[in-house]
Amino acid sequence: MLRQCRRCSLPETYETIEFDADGICNVCRSAEHKQRMVDWPERKKLLDQLIEKHRGRAQYDCIVPFSGGKDSTFQLYYLVKEYKLKPLVVRFNHGFMRETIHRNNQRTFKKLGVDVLEFQPNWHIVKRLMLESFRRKTDFCWHCHTGIYSYPLRVALMYKVPLVFWGEPQSELTAYYDYLNDEIEYEDDKKFNMLRTLGITAEDMHGMIDSPDAPVDKRDLLPYTFPDVGELKALRYVSVPLGSFIPWDYTTNTEIIKKELGWQIDELEGVPMEMNQHGEKIECFMQGSRDYIKFLKRGYSRVCQINAFHVRAGRMTPEEASKLNAEHDGRKPPSLEVFLEYVGLTEAEFREIVTQMAIPPYEHDFDDDRLAKPTWDFEQWYREDNRQPE
Amino acid sequence: MIGVVDYGAGNLASVRHAFERLAVEVEVFDDPDRIANFERIVLPGVGSFRLAMAALDSRGWPAALRAHVSGGRPLLGICLGMQLFFDRGFEHGEMPGLGIVPGDVVLLKPDHPHKVPHVGWNTLNLARPHPVLTGVKPHVDYYFVHSYHCQPADPADVIARCTHGEPFVACAGRGSAVGLQFHPEKSQPAGMRILENFAAWDGTC
Amino acid sequence: MGWHLLKRRVIPVLLLRDGRMVKGRQFKDFRDTGEANTAIRIYSAQDADELVFLDIQASRQSHSALLEVVRAAARECFMPLSAGGGVSSLADVRELLLAGADKVVINSAAIAQPDLVVQAAERFGNQCIIGGIDYRGAGRDARVWVRCGSEATALDPVEYAQRLVGAGVGEIFLQSIDRDGMMQGYDLKTSAAVAAAVSVPVIVCGGAGHFKHLADAFTQTDVAAAACASLFHFGDNNPIRARSYLRNQQVLMRVLR
Repeated sequence: MLRQCRRCSLPETYETIEFDADGICNVCRSAEHKQRMVDWPERKKLLDQLIEKHRGRAQYDCIVPFSGGKDSTFQLYYLVKEYKLKPLVVRFNHGFMRETIHRNNQRTFKKLGVDVLEFQPNWHIVKRLMLESFRRKTDFCWHCHTGIYSYPLRVALMYKVPLVFWGEPQSELTAYYDYLNDEIEYEDDKKFNMLRTLGITAEDMHGMIDSPDAPVDKRDLLPYTFPDVGELKALRYVSVPLGSFIPWDYTTNTEIIKKELGWQIDELEGVPMEMNQHGEKIECFMQGSRDYIKFLKRGYSRVCQINAFHVRAGRMTPEEASKLNAEHDGRKPPSLEVFLEYVGLTEAEFREIVTQMAIPPYEHDFDDDRLAKPTWDFEQWYREDNRQPE
Repeated sequence: MIGVVDYGAGNLASVRHAFERLAVEVEVFDDPDRIANFERIVLPGVGSFRLAMAALDSRGWPAALRAHVSGGRPLLGICLGMQLFFDRGFEHGEMPGLGIVPGDVVLLKPDHPHKVPHVGWNTLNLARPHPVLTGVKPHVDYYFVHSYHCQPADPADVIARCTHGEPFVACAGRGSAVGLQFHPEKSQPAGMRILENFAAWDGTC
Repeated sequence: MGWHLLKRRVIPVLLLRDGRMVKGRQFKDFRDTGEANTAIRIYSAQDADELVFLDIQASRQSHSALLEVVRAAARECFMPLSAGGGVSSLADVRELLLAGADKVVINSAAIAQPDLVVQAAERFGNQCIIGGIDYRGAGRDARVWVRCGSEATALDPVEYAQRLVGAGVGEIFLQSIDRDGMMQGYDLKTSAAVAAAVSVPVIVCGGAGHFKHLADAFTQTDVAAAACASLFHFGDNNPIRARSYLRNQQVLMRVLR
C-alpha cells in the first residue's frame, strides 16, 4: 500500500513528491501558492515588456516549440491572437505522431497563419537511443526529452531569434521547480541538465551506443545536444514558459483551442475518454507504453495523474479519485508490442529490466495486469517486421 | 572591484569563479600594498590557523587588512578567514589572530552523535539582521566544514548561529568586517545570494 | 525546530580511468559510464550535496586527467568536491587542493606511510583529509585491502579507522568491495560499527541500488553520508529525487531554498 497525498492522492513514488506534517504533498502546496501568492498582474506586465522588447527585431518575433498537444497549441494561439506576434513554429517530430494530432496541427497552422519548421530525426538512431535509454533508465523517451528541449534553441541560433516561448511550467507537475520560489522558470542549460537528460547527455549517449560492429556518427547525436551556452548568451536568448507569466489552466486552455481552432481530443490507451476531455497526451502513440512502464515502476500512472489535477481544481474529491484510480489506472497497452518490436526486446526481457528499477516501496504483481483497449488508430501506427518470438 | 587575498592558504578558485558567475569584477591579488585599489576584500582560508597567520604576517597583511576595515571598507572572511579575524586561535597552542573582532577560536567538541569536524549542510539562526545575510531563510542549508569555531567576546558581534550538538557562531562581525564560518561559494544557490549581498554592501549596518 | 540540525548527505562518486568515468562490480568488470565533464554539469544542475572523484588507475597519465577533471569541476560548479586515487605525497595533496578540491582522499598510502596523514592534516587542516578504507568481508571477518582491492592486509576496518582518526583525518570514506556495484544495499553492520567507533563523520560507499538502501543507512547507522555511483548510473534516479524520498522517510536532508 503506497502512501498518498491526502488531497490529490499522488503516491510517495511520484518523483520529487514530499508530504508535509498534514500529509499534503508539495505539488498541492505549490498549486495553492500559485492561486494565492503569485502576483499574476505583475507577471503579465513582465510579459508585455518582454514581448515589446523583441517585437520586430529579428526575422521572427519569437520561436514557439510545438508538439500539437493541448499546451503548445494554446501557447501558439495565445501569442498569435493576444499579442499578434510573428512566430516561427518549430516542431521536433519524435516519430510517434497520431492522425488526430496531424489534422489538429494542419487546422491550427492554417487558421492562425504561421511559418512552421519541422524536424524528424533519423529513425535508425532513434531506435538505438530508445533501447539504450530504456535499459539504463527504463525511460525510452530520451530522444524526445532532449530533442524537444534543445532543437528549438538550435533553431533560435540559426535564425538569430532570441525569444523562445514554451508553455507549461514544470511547477505544474513536480517539485523540481516550485511556485513558492516566485521565479520565472527559464528553459536553460541548467534545467536541461537537471531534468531533461535523465542524467545522460548526448556526448555520453554517443559513447554508450557507439561500438565497433555498429558505429554511430557523432553528428547523429547533434539533434539531442543542447547548443553552446556561450552562443546562446551572445544572442541574449530568453527561453521561458508562457506559464510563468499567465496562470496555466489547461482545462480553460483546452476549451479555448477547441472553440477557436476546432481542436479535437482523442482516445488514449488505458484512459477512459470521459476522464480526458481536455486531451492530455494525445500527441504520441507510445503514450500507453510510457504510462504502463510508470505503473510497473511506481504503482501509479496517467489516470492517477489526471485525477490529481481534477482534485486540486476542486472538480473531484480524493475519494472519487481513489476509486477511479483503482478501477482504471495502470492498464497494459496494445502499444507495448509495438515498442518491443522497435527495440527488439522480448516481453520477458522488458519485465526484467523494468522490475529492477522499481521505485521503493512499490513492487508490481504482473498477475494483476489488466489490458487496455486499442485506440481507433492503432492499425495506422508504423510497424517493423523484426518482432521477437516469445 | 573585489579583491581576494592570496596568501597561500585558501581555495581561491571557487571564490573567484563564484563572483565571476555573478558578473562581479573580481581579482585575486597577493600584494598588500595594492589593497587600497579594491572597494571590498575577501579573505578566504582553509587549513591551519597557525600556518595561515604565519603566512599573513610574513607578507605584511595584518596591518593592511586592519586599515581597510578601520577605513569602513567591507571585508568578508570565509571559514578560516573568519577565524583569523579574532584575537587568538588555539590550534597547536595559542596563536594571535588579526584582532579585528575580540574573542577566541576554539575546538568544537564531539558529542555523540555529533561528529567533529562539522561537515555538511546546516542552517543559520539569525541573532540580528545584517545586509550580507539579507534573504537568508531559517530552513535553508549552507555548507560547513570546520573543526574550530569562533567565540566572540562581545555578544553584539554575533550575527548568526548554527547548531551542531550545541549552538555555535556561524556569522560574526564588527563594523565593516563580516565573517562566515560556512562556505557561501560552495552553497549554491543560497550561498550565491550572500555573495551578491556582499558585492553590494557599503560596509555599514 | 526540526531543521536546525546537520543534514545527511548523498554523494555521487565519479570513478575515473584516464579521465573517463567507469563503474564496476566488486572492483572489476568496469563499464564506461560517460564523460566526467558532462556528469559534473548534470550533478551541478541537480545541486548534488557533494561530489567525490576517484582515480582508479593511479598512473601518471590518469593522475593528470584527474587534475583536469577537478579543475573543470571547480570552474563549473559551486559545491564541495573531494578527490583521490593514488595520492601518496604532500605534493599530491597540495596539487589536488590547488586544482580546486576541498578535500583529498588518502587510501593505500596511509598504510605504507603512516606519517603522511599526520603531516597532511597538520599542513592543510584535518577537515581537508579523508581517510579512505576499502575492505572485504563484513563484521568481524572484515579486512582492509589496498591498491584498488589487489593487496590484502590483516587490518580490521574499525581499528584501522580509529588509527586514521588518531593520525588526523577529518572523515572516513568506508567502501565495501564485496558490495560495490552489486546494488543490493550497503553493508550496514560494518558501517554502523565504524561510525560508532570514531568521532569523525563516516561516508559509507558500496552497494546502493535504490533509495531504500540510502534510507536504511541513515536510519540504522550513524553514518554522516552515503556515497553512490551505480544508483545514479544504472537507475532512474537523481540527487533531487533522493532528497525527496529521504525526507519522506523522516531523514533530514539539505534544503536549497
